[in-house]
Amino acid sequence: MALYPTTQAVPVEFLAPETEGVVVDLCGEEKNLHRLEELGIRCGCKIRMLCPGETCLLAIEGKKMCLRLGSTAEILVQPLTP
Amino acid sequence: MANRASSDRPATVALIGNPNTGKSSLFNALCGGQARVGNYPGVTVEHKTARMSLACSTFKSIELVDLPGTYSLSARSADEAVSVEVLCGEMPTVAKPDAVIVILDATNLERNLYLLSQVLELQIPTLVALNMWDRLEKEGMKLDAQKLSESLGVRVVCTSASKRFGIAEVQSALLEILEQAPGSEKANSTDSRGVLERGALASASFPKAFLESVDELEAWFGAQGCPLERFQIERLLIDDSQAHSYRVIPKRISSEVAQRIATTREHLATQGVSIPLFETRARYGWIKQRVVGVVERQARERRVSTSDRIDRWLTHRWLGLLFFIALMFLIFQSITAFASWPMDGIGFGTQWVGQRVEAMMAPGPLRSLLVDGIIAGVGAVLVFLPQIAILFFFIAVLEDCGYMSRAAFMMDKFMSALGMSGKSFLPLMSSFACAIPGIMATRTIENRRDRMVTMLIAPLMSCSARWPVYVLMVSAFVPKQAVLGGWVSVQGAVLFAMMCVGALVAIPVAWLLKRFVFPGEPSTFIMELSSYKWPSFRVVAMRVWERVLSFIARAGSLIFVTSVLVWAAAYFPGDHSLVDQATAKLEAEQADPNADEAKTQAWTSEINQLKSDLISKSYLGLAGQWIEPIVRPLGWDGKIGVAVLASFPAREVIVATLGTIYSLGGGQDETSQGLAENLRSATWPDGRPVYTLATACSIMVFFALCAQCVSTLVTIRRETNSWRWPIFSFVYMTTLAYLGAWIVYNLMSFWLDP
Repeated sequence: MALYPTTQAVPVEFLAPETEGVVVDLCGEEKNLHRLEELGIRCGCKIRMLCPGETCLLAIEGKKMCLRLGSTAEILVQPLTP
Repeated sequence: MANRASSDRPATVALIGNPNTGKSSLFNALCGGQARVGNYPGVTVEHKTARMSLACSTFKSIELVDLPGTYSLSARSADEAVSVEVLCGEMPTVAKPDAVIVILDATNLERNLYLLSQVLELQIPTLVALNMWDRLEKEGMKLDAQKLSESLGVRVVCTSASKRFGIAEVQSALLEILEQAPGSEKANSTDSRGVLERGALASASFPKAFLESVDELEAWFGAQGCPLERFQIERLLIDDSQAHSYRVIPKRISSEVAQRIATTREHLATQGVSIPLFETRARYGWIKQRVVGVVERQARERRVSTSDRIDRWLTHRWLGLLFFIALMFLIFQSITAFASWPMDGIGFGTQWVGQRVEAMMAPGPLRSLLVDGIIAGVGAVLVFLPQIAILFFFIAVLEDCGYMSRAAFMMDKFMSALGMSGKSFLPLMSSFACAIPGIMATRTIENRRDRMVTMLIAPLMSCSARWPVYVLMVSAFVPKQAVLGGWVSVQGAVLFAMMCVGALVAIPVAWLLKRFVFPGEPSTFIMELSSYKWPSFRVVAMRVWERVLSFIARAGSLIFVTSVLVWAAAYFPGDHSLVDQATAKLEAEQADPNADEAKTQAWTSEINQLKSDLISKSYLGLAGQWIEPIVRPLGWDGKIGVAVLASFPAREVIVATLGTIYSLGGGQDETSQGLAENLRSATWPDGRPVYTLATACSIMVFFALCAQCVSTLVTIRRETNSWRWPIFSFVYMTTLAYLGAWIVYNLMSFWLDP
């Protein structure tokens, strides 16, 4: 169950370059979600899209991370208006 | 912790942290060690130990163990498993740590504290090194280290390991912790060892039902005669069955354990405990409480950093890829441009030494061994030292500036099409230097199938041992000319193409392996990108120096021994007295200022003929006759065939073997300028040259694809724990190499001489 409001949540891959969003939910296989959370990708954290695509480059709390989850997990974010 | 303190044994101190937090830099700073550091994840894939020069009253000495970076103690990859094994005292070669230094990135505190929260569960005295302290201000952050220390209940020292800041403080804090070890005189004084009460640990906030289940399992394991630490039982319940935590279970009870764990999980699910996600939530809850009032982030307008601007170009879908290819091309062009002078110098030096030895000794077996065996063999390989040094200079610069992880990001799109991930790219890039660290670097790959495929294709990357073969063939048979307005050297372009052959062949091989041998869903890809920085002169110089030393050591050991063996096989059996007499006469004539040139040339021809007859009747010559029908379709003669056979231990041995064969076998005169000249003048019995551009390319393609490296095969055996995979590698690579060389020879022969 989502811990944050997910009314306008979109998958992180949908964020346009240089836009930010707040993670509102993580869905998928639990072991993958556990790993994502260990890496600091968890509800409430702020993500900035640097380079979109199937493999995307994100800035998560200031740290750059590349990510390709395929169908194993999904990160839903609430886009932040600039 | 067990009461093991005594002054007659060394203390073991482990150093652990998230990837790229500067562990190896701190390790080097603390013990003056030379652990390899790099600006990309996965530089350290096994534990490294060094002795600290600190006087400790409680222990004889202090051994510092640098562990691979990990985000958590829930180990999923082989390198993370090393960290867990050492910390839990499961590594047979390392004593259970008496203390642990957890290195945290001060600019990303919350996430780094996750690992600390797990390390504290192990009840080992803990010291926190808050590294990258110097970057806090740049990130617009303020951190109260004293408050953090009080909140965590452990000592916190601020450091900037790369700038050697805070090192003395870490040393003195560590000494204080060790001198309070259980059993020591100071053990009953105020406890500042960094061992928390159970109630202060993050696990205290785990659901009650989970904690009760752990209690039950703890009692059950004890009753089975297999007592486990509480933390290990927690991991068994939380991690999936493929994780490292299951390896500690003895086989005799493994099925019963699996059954119990499954039943306990079902019970916990009915109690509303969501495994494994409750753990992260509980730990981050604990972290949130600990950092209240510790970190202050200044609200400021987000600005695009230089790193972001660089990344826009370097990680661009097409421009980034073009940049990568152009960069590689430029590197190989530079190597050919910069290496020629020092190579000529070493070649001249080798010849000079050979001439001096000849001048000091009378012709005979010992002189032949020294000049034709050792100096011609080892010298032929040492000539390539400048190329190796320049190649490693570029690799070290790319590794240290932070570019490698960007390249891995770009390559993930391509690798995922093969069913792999960008994580395989870094080990493959390492394999361009040497396949052994490349294969070991596959430990960072979590997915077993991906790891196996990467390990099996890593030896196809053109390692530095292939360089001597390529450079010898290119410098002898590829025209030394420039094209495109003089900017692109043809020799450099051919070298670049040869470096690409293995990588290009690796693509269909990886696809086939992934499709038929290791089928499965494409793996996910998550990797942190390190920050850009200017390459450190010290780090780059150390890496180049290490490789140069390793190359010289190989030349002085393996290549030296092979040269002697090849010389013996080419020298015996046979009566060399006629050659020795003729050589003595020739040298006496040459020493005379009024020497008759016609006479000198006649004697030279006679000596070459005698040498040629002797080598053809030697053991090596006989082996050459045996192997020639097999290698003839590749355009090779028996000498090349024998040299390839002799190079089974290491690829570069072929150069030393050819050096010895042509030095012993004649075909030289006073105008000969080294091995390249000897190869150019080698002929078949009918007078046709043995070496053509087609033969040279056939040899290069064979060496680009073959598995001629015992050390690599042994490393695959060690990493896979089976002989099946090194045998598989050898068979498939040798078949590919033969077929590749045959196709290239025939196509080029048809093209050049239709």
